[in-house]
Amino acid sequence: MNDLLIKILSTLGAVFVLIASFGVFKMPDFYSRLSVTIKAATLGIGCILIAATIHFAEFSVTTKAIAIIFFLFITSPVAGFLISKVAYITGTKLWKDSIIDELENDPDSNCTNPALPKDKIKKE
Amino acid sequence: MTVEDYIAYIVMPIICLAIFFIMLRFIKGPQVVDRVVALDLLITVGVAFITLFSIIVNNPLFLDEAMILALIAFLSTVAFSFYIFKRKRDE
Amino acid sequence: MLQNFLLNILLTFVWVALTGQLGYTNFVFGYALGFFILWMVNKSVNASTEYFYRVPKIFAFILLFFYDLMKANYEVTKDVITPNYNMKPGIIKYEMEAKTDFEITMLANMIALTPGTVVVDLSKNKKFMYIHVMYLTNKEEFIERLSSRIERKLLEIIR
Repeated sequence: MNDLLIKILSTLGAVFVLIASFGVFKMPDFYSRLSVTIKAATLGIGCILIAATIHFAEFSVTTKAIAIIFFLFITSPVAGFLISKVAYITGTKLWKDSIIDELENDPDSNCTNPALPKDKIKKE
Repeated sequence: MTVEDYIAYIVMPIICLAIFFIMLRFIKGPQVVDRVVALDLLITVGVAFITLFSIIVNNPLFLDEAMILALIAFLSTVAFSFYIFKRKRDE
Repeated sequence: MLQNFLLNILLTFVWVALTGQLGYTNFVFGYALGFFILWMVNKSVNASTEYFYRVPKIFAFILLFFYDLMKANYEVTKDVITPNYNMKPGIIKYEMEAKTDFEITMLANMIALTPGTVVVDLSKNKKFMYIHVMYLTNKEEFIERLSSRIERKLLEIIR
């Protein structure tokens, strides 16, 4: 019973990781790559760590697995936010079929960069 | 088929395929930020790899390294984005 | 609120020490038992009952969040596996109700963990949030769903 559960959970986690990596390879622009990446990988690693806790069934292993899941859930959104902000500042373009960009030339935002000429940040 | 065999012969190849796709993006990536995202995902997949390896060899000590890697992935992304931001500002 | 929580933790540790099994299932069972005992006691004394409404709300929010995560993950997976793209990306400006830094951080974490959405920037006066959305079929509907389903429930819990 436990063996079957471990097999199912680890396969599910590996498939989530595979979807995330294939999304990173296939998606056409930076922002959709980023949004595919963060959670599919977090979910997959959560499944694999739960499989590890079921396999070992010790108190210390469970604590370590919970710590890893907690770190990932706290840190990966912050990292994603930082890298997307830096990407917008350095002029990464949106996808060519994007329908709206309300951040562009908005006086409220922190991303307007005086060093760049204004028409360089625009989408293709 | 035991759990160790199943993970070694079926789950590990899936993870290796995932690493292959991420490496393709890492080589191809048109900008630095794409490469940073690919590197972050690569380290995160490394955590999964170490966890599966610790199940195969039946030794929970390897989970410590997985925990440290999960922290270092965040730090490397923050450092890279800070560096790219500084370089852009100084231009 | 805090007093009730600390009492609950104390009852949990008493339960674990009395039964002598150091395991997570025992912790969870002791916590549930302590919660039930405190709830019964508090009904008779007629004291502050805020804690007993908040804990079920937190679990309901976690369940709702995982349901949303699964649903959005399915959409993204469909788009990744099939060869053509049916996404409509865009950056929208979203007016937050969250005021303090902690509330903004939690909201940004929740938004970033939902597939298809990424927070790109905050405005200077911390009133607006710029979100990159992958499936933006209807802007008003998306903003309405985000504010009623995620933000209001999150603020109910942490305020």
